[in-house]
Amino acid sequence: MNYHPSLPEHNDNVSHQRPVREFFVLITGVLIFVFIGYWALGLVVDVAVDYLSSEQEAKLFSKVDINWDFGKESMPEEQAKIQSLVDSLTPCLAPPYPITVSLVKSDVVNAMAIPGGKMVVFSGLLDSLSSTNGLMFILAHELGHFKNRDHLRLMGRGIVLSILALLAFGGDSGISDILASTINLRTAKYSQTRESQADQTALQALQCHFGHVGGATELFERLQAQDAEADFGFTHYFSTHPELQQRIDDLNQLAQKLGYAVKGTQDLF
Amino acid sequence: MDSLTIFLILLALGFVFGKLAERRHYRSIQAREEILVCLPATSCKKPMGNSSPINHVELVHGHVVVSVDYFKQLLAGLRNFFGGTIQAYETLLDRARREAVLRLKESCPTANEILNLRIETSSISKGGSGDQVGSVEVLAYGTAIYYQPASSQHSSP
Repeated sequence: MNYHPSLPEHNDNVSHQRPVREFFVLITGVLIFVFIGYWALGLVVDVAVDYLSSEQEAKLFSKVDINWDFGKESMPEEQAKIQSLVDSLTPCLAPPYPITVSLVKSDVVNAMAIPGGKMVVFSGLLDSLSSTNGLMFILAHELGHFKNRDHLRLMGRGIVLSILALLAFGGDSGISDILASTINLRTAKYSQTRESQADQTALQALQCHFGHVGGATELFERLQAQDAEADFGFTHYFSTHPELQQRIDDLNQLAQKLGYAVKGTQDLF
Repeated sequence: MDSLTIFLILLALGFVFGKLAERRHYRSIQAREEILVCLPATSCKKPMGNSSPINHVELVHGHVVVSVDYFKQLLAGLRNFFGGTIQAYETLLDRARREAVLRLKESCPTANEILNLRIETSSISKGGSGDQVGSVEVLAYGTAIYYQPASSQHSSP
């Protein structure tokens, strides 16, 4: 037996694959699966939210201590004023249960509706507003979310998405990142319609409370002026709130349609 | 948005540098294999028909740890979802095995023959992050035979 040194001509152990094409085929397949799952479970969430009564919700979340400890007791005076503003809206826009306001010291210009009747207002919002009417519109907008149960819907969808990502890819992998980003587009679209609805509710409440809708668009106009300085062009694809100009236009159109007047506003506090 | 950007950058970097590293490694493997092809390494248990007296034998081994790039790891993760051959990992294992054998041969350049060659593979990062296998260790070991110098020429039986 002689040994003839030679190397194989072909390497049969390595497929001549096209990895980029394979990647796109696979990622498209996975995303289709997850989108269908997310859409279907989203409908289930909507049904479940309609089924869950306000009393049950209040009971359910009263036991859950969501620790919103951003130092909320630091501005007790303003917090009490906002609480009384929210309470004064009750005849026009009755929330399904008592709402507790927490004022949080932060530069963030926003407010949030949290399940169980907690409303978080960031103090940056107060700095961006100059009229009570403007603030009242934002508070009514959040009350609208409570009334329409949007806080539950969005939370339910968030849970559904986390579970889907966990099931499909298990915890921490890059694919979950892609998924989160692309699904964000859909969630954004969904929540844009919810936001528009809350805007409508808020506008009606403002008319009912003040007898006119002056100041409704104050915050949006102010934010738009800030945005104009730092415009990236494609930010609206990722924002969960409808584009500011769109929102202002919608509100103005609705006010005109319903015959709401726009009058002068009161100074904040 | 930010996480998506970072992710895409990682993906592109993984793809480009993974490809470059793989190509370089294959070039090196091919060049060294051509040099070392004269040293037979077989899985036979006995010398290949050579009746020359054996001077001495020794246990030789070569091992290597190789990792896949981010892109291929992700591709394999996606493949997990649908099933099928994970082609993305084929070059990883091919390179690792050949490199391990090359290192084994390089550790005994004056041997006449290597018998009883065995190759073992084990995954390194299992359980580290998820259940994905990021890198493999391949160990090749065998018995190097050194014939007595006077009869070092091979002859047919």
